Amino acid sequence: MAGTVIGEGLTIEGDITGDEEIVIHGNLRGRLTTTDAVTVSSTAIVGADITGASLSVAGQVTGDVTASERVDIQAGGKLVGDIKAARFTIADGASFKGNVDMEI
Amino acid sequence: MAENSVIGSDTVVSGHLHGQGSLEILGRVEGDVSVTGDVVVGPSGRVRGNISAAELTVAGQVQGNLRGTEVVLVESGGRVVGDIASPRVGIAPGALVRGHVQTDGEPALGNATAANRPAVAARVAAPQPAVRLAPPQPVSASLLKAPHKAEPRKLEHPRSPVQVPTPPAASVAAETESAPARTAKAEPRRPPPPVVPVISKGTKAKKKKGRD
Repeated sequence: MAGTVIGEGLTIEGDITGDEEIVIHGNLRGRLTTTDAVTVSSTAIVGADITGASLSVAGQVTGDVTASERVDIQAGGKLVGDIKAARFTIADGASFKGNVDMEI
Repeated sequence: MAENSVIGSDTVVSGHLHGQGSLEILGRVEGDVSVTGDVVVGPSGRVRGNISAAELTVAGQVQGNLRGTEVVLVESGGRVVGDIASPRVGIAPGALVRGHVQTDGEPALGNATAANRPAVAARVAAPQPAVRLAPPQPVSASLLKAPHKAEPRKLEHPRSPVQVPTPPAASVAAETESAPARTAKAEPRRPPPPVVPVISKGTKAKKKKGRD
């Protein structure tokens, strides 16, 4: 199980910092920094800059993303912002708008 | 699954958390937490901010006010620096609480007060009419007759029923529209009312003895 879970219906306005996996089903406005994986589920709405080892987006994310390993936008996912990651995939049916930098 | 939120032990949240569902805090939160469901602050959890929830359980450290709409429980090892307000408050042995604790609620206290209030009202209502009915008659009779006769004789009236049937007393009774027979009979009944002042004297004496 994930270390941190933001449930559906919960809203966080502020910064999240951690060293463990973070799964977001609810809302987040602020900043998100972790050394582990970040998962944004289909019900989540995130308006934050995200820094982590990897990012999987099935919901809506607005903000810049920096990942040391990879970023995956699932089908139905929506991401608006610049991405810095070694590996980056966009699934069929996903929407994305922003710059991509894969030179890490 | 989606409704339950967890702040992991290695996670720090600096900001406000609010919304629906329950929340388990194992890491650190610096900001206010307001949730409609339950909040559990685990042994490793640390919160600096106010927490509002339905059922609030603290086994970690909280610096801020706790507000529970149902219950607030501070488990053993839990430390709370701040005020606690909830209908039910539980503080386990081994817990540390520094602040104002207030159990303000309807469910627990409402039943007790509702059961006590009618009984108290009945007790208060019963003695009052008895006190009011008895004294007025003799008091009015003594006040009406006292000024006409000599004032120092007030004490003698109850003791000497012979002086009662004198003409001036009968005329006064006729002027006040009250039956002379009732006032004449009321005079010998006067001794019982003075029992009230006797009780007050007795109580004073008891208090003095108790204090000495």
